[in-house]
Amino acid sequence: MDIGLTFQQLLNGLSIGCVYAIFALGYTLIFSILRIINFAHASVFTLGAYFTYFLIGGKFGFNGLLSNGQLPFALPFLIALVVGAVLAGLVSMAIEQLAFKPLRNRGADPLLTLVSSLGVAIVVVNVIQYLVGAEIYAFPSSVLSGLPAAVNFGNADRAIPIRTIQIVILAVSVVIMIGLTLLVERTRTGKALKAIAEDATVAGLLGINADRLIMATFFLSGFVGGLAGTLVGLSVSIAGPYFGIAFGLKGLAVIVLGGLGSIPGSILGGLLIGLAEAFVPSSAIAIKEAVPFAILFLVLIVRPQGLMGRSLVQKV
Amino acid sequence: MRQHQTFNPKLRERTVAVVSAAGLLLLAACGAPTAGAPGGSGATSGEPIPICFSVAQTSNTALLGQDQVVGAKIAEKYFNDKGGVNGRPIKLFYEDTAGDENGAINAFQNCINKDKVVGIVGPTLSQQAFAADKIADAAKVPVLGPSNTAAGIPQIGEYVSRVSAPVAVVAPNAVREALKQNANIKNVAVAFAQNDAFSKSETGTFQKTVTETFKLNLVTVQTFQTTDTDFTTQATNLINSKPELIIISGLAADGGNLVKQLRELGYKGLMIGGNGFNTTQVFPVCQAQCDGLIIAQAYAPGLDSAINKDFIAGYDAEKKSKLPPQLTAQAFTAVQVFVDSLKAIDTKTKLSGMQLADIRTALNQQMLLGGKYDTPLGPISFDKEGEINQGKFYVAQVKMTSGTEGNFNIIGTY
Amino acid sequence: MVAMVLAATLALSLYLPLMSGQLSLATPGFYAIGGYVAAILSTKVIHVTGPYPIPLILGEMILAGAGCGVLAVLIGVPALRLRGVYLALATIAFVEIVRVLSLTVEFTGGAIGIFNIPQPFVTANGIEYLLIALPMLICAALFVYRLERIGVGRALVAIREDELAADAVGINPTRYKVLSFAMGAMLAGAVGALSAHFLNTWNARQGTFDASIAVLAFVLIGGSRSFVGPIVGAMVLTALPEGLRAVAGIGELPVWLATLLRDGRVIIYGLLIVICTLNFPQGLIAPRQPVRKAVKSS
Repeated sequence: MDIGLTFQQLLNGLSIGCVYAIFALGYTLIFSILRIINFAHASVFTLGAYFTYFLIGGKFGFNGLLSNGQLPFALPFLIALVVGAVLAGLVSMAIEQLAFKPLRNRGADPLLTLVSSLGVAIVVVNVIQYLVGAEIYAFPSSVLSGLPAAVNFGNADRAIPIRTIQIVILAVSVVIMIGLTLLVERTRTGKALKAIAEDATVAGLLGINADRLIMATFFLSGFVGGLAGTLVGLSVSIAGPYFGIAFGLKGLAVIVLGGLGSIPGSILGGLLIGLAEAFVPSSAIAIKEAVPFAILFLVLIVRPQGLMGRSLVQKV
Repeated sequence: MRQHQTFNPKLRERTVAVVSAAGLLLLAACGAPTAGAPGGSGATSGEPIPICFSVAQTSNTALLGQDQVVGAKIAEKYFNDKGGVNGRPIKLFYEDTAGDENGAINAFQNCINKDKVVGIVGPTLSQQAFAADKIADAAKVPVLGPSNTAAGIPQIGEYVSRVSAPVAVVAPNAVREALKQNANIKNVAVAFAQNDAFSKSETGTFQKTVTETFKLNLVTVQTFQTTDTDFTTQATNLINSKPELIIISGLAADGGNLVKQLRELGYKGLMIGGNGFNTTQVFPVCQAQCDGLIIAQAYAPGLDSAINKDFIAGYDAEKKSKLPPQLTAQAFTAVQVFVDSLKAIDTKTKLSGMQLADIRTALNQQMLLGGKYDTPLGPISFDKEGEINQGKFYVAQVKMTSGTEGNFNIIGTY
Repeated sequence: MVAMVLAATLALSLYLPLMSGQLSLATPGFYAIGGYVAAILSTKVIHVTGPYPIPLILGEMILAGAGCGVLAVLIGVPALRLRGVYLALATIAFVEIVRVLSLTVEFTGGAIGIFNIPQPFVTANGIEYLLIALPMLICAALFVYRLERIGVGRALVAIREDELAADAVGINPTRYKVLSFAMGAMLAGAVGALSAHFLNTWNARQGTFDASIAVLAFVLIGGSRSFVGPIVGAMVLTALPEGLRAVAGIGELPVWLATLLRDGRVIIYGLLIVICTLNFPQGLIAPRQPVRKAVKSS
């Protein structure tokens, strides 16, 4: 086997796997405390990219209501990235208030929140299209000015190039993943989150303000989603309002593969799926899209609770 | 705390209210009057002549559909400013097909039964055309496909035609031009979007051209999906097969990204983009890396003809750009074919004296007569089945000027 | 109209496994397979001149249903050990695998799919398909209605309410779960076979993740505790975009409102889904039983 190629596919797999993982973390954060899947997450991811694009002074094309709209000022990319992610976090909080909280207060079937978040996703995606059209927007390449397009990990004879933006995404993802893990495992907030996940009523009795923490979780999930959206947009441009939706399904596969509600599980699941895709042999590339799902299916048959999920206790 | 809404006696009432409201909506949806028109509709009186423009304005197909709507709007304004159909203006009804087959069927039924149009331009996707066109054909309403390129579309029925040339005739020219630029090409790699009907047909043509017409080695065939964003695996596979030419059939976003990632990973050779690349939307995606890309075109903004200049002026007035995408030009052309044909009919027999059904039939017959239309695509005509005979095809090479702006320079005309 | 009836039947096919508490989203996968069976048989195997005989379509539907049923048993035995969201995702994985395979293998026609599927009716404006679709929906609905009232149905509900207890009283959960899963698959396959003729074309875009979610929304918005719910939910949600289009087309509306209704049609559709969910947490068709129980206990 060609070591150089293996190494290159390994890095390719890790970098795309990180995108999957960081996307899936948005699902996981919310699932871990509320036991629901937030379908609107993909649309928040998309919004994050659009916010950042607008904030750096990007101009909107001609097909929406905001045709040729542009901010009177332009923020530097790094600041826009953070502000965009904060805005995405705020949208995520608004979604919680409007579409999740009323259902939770009624003790409705968790499945129903899935439908309600689906409705939210439809609204967000189509509002984007209504306002700015379906065309492709791209961050100017000057954002990464000074950096080469790719870094060569091999030598001059046997090049092993990796795109610079992939390395950036890899690094940022690792920081976010470590940050989130520390937050949940090491801080009081994290402990409170775990308590709510365990039993919201008891947590309330212990003086934990569940509503506030849930809001905080939604903010965090939106923030991380928005950040990831911008970074992916930087890598591959924003291909219309449905740009994030494509990740939605893979994200689901990742969280279930890793075990629902488990942060390390999501990371492991994301990396595994990324690597599996990268190592599909060149001749069998046509079935690449099916590979993550075949793995998911097989893993679930063997381990019904996912790789790192807690085994389900049957009620007796 | 009351946990269950079921306590609430009002709930039942509200259920009833919602169900009956939904029922009303259903009636509204289904209650469109049935086909046939007893004179006095728009087409026969002095009112504007109704034409349907039915493409995908929502769903993820809207990326294509919105380019088409622009072309239709320019055409509507342009031809009405020029006096419409011998003094009578046209009116376009925009019925959204969304991205699926059922949406196209519904939109076409609205065109035929509610808007009572003389003809339909649409739908966006070939798959939708297979589902919706037979309905128009059965109702004897002429359909003109603005972007359906799959084999078999005009054969759906007598009333089905298209202005979008099938891919088989556009693609091979690009390979010829590539060989002119580099005569040493021996190994060719191919990639295509496997979930896109257009790209799937096109890659078949490209592969045949490579192996049969030019006797080159096809070293690898890679596939991707139009929804993909990361192409590093495919790019690595392509580069490692050591080709001198890579041919990509895809759409703007996915194809553009593959081009970009190939260049970033160090591919230096020639690249051909299929007909799906023929839009300025590609420029922001691959930016500087688009440079040098060879593209097969069914429409070239550089075509030197009066109607094309008028069309580009209309596009520039609307969009501040002189490079209309192919989809926009084809949409404009489709509306033009209807207008020109209606004029020809009106000159022979006054439209205002004809029944709607007769106008529809006459319109279809007029198009199939084989007369020439001078359009932004160049001179075109239709054969007896409704297939387009397009006089000119082009091969262009992308020249990026700055950041996200560039030009298609024509390097070959066929 | 035909699309509404077909959607309602599909919703029933998701409701069947849900009767035993199994959240299976495999419906579009079987629907897609059923469509391919009909499309391939009628375009490549059987050659008829003139209108396509209706008995042949019924035959295709039965064959597609039977095929999907067998496949469902094969998949169901290992997969139905999973619960809740895990099962939902495993079934979505199945849908996605079917989609990619149908894009990859040759005989399904790739992305273009199979077209010019023979039509049984000469005046092809489609409405005649109700002649087949409506009886199919009624039969399916009657079947489910009867099922809920005989032993098998009660066993399924018992498993939904408490699987361990059901097991304890001698109901074999695996057998019944696989049974309900297979019944749903058979129905979905039959609907697919009919849809292929109705749409005149069949391709990989018919069975997707989006379709899975749409069918789930039909059931949950309609109400997941009685067979009427899925039917109503499917009909309302399928008709809604068209209804909104019709409302936007009413001539007397002020221009701004008509524009909003036309261009913002899908936004309103999404909003209505959210509002519906928030106001009818039990679905549009709320179950009768829990109401009685609730009244007693209050």
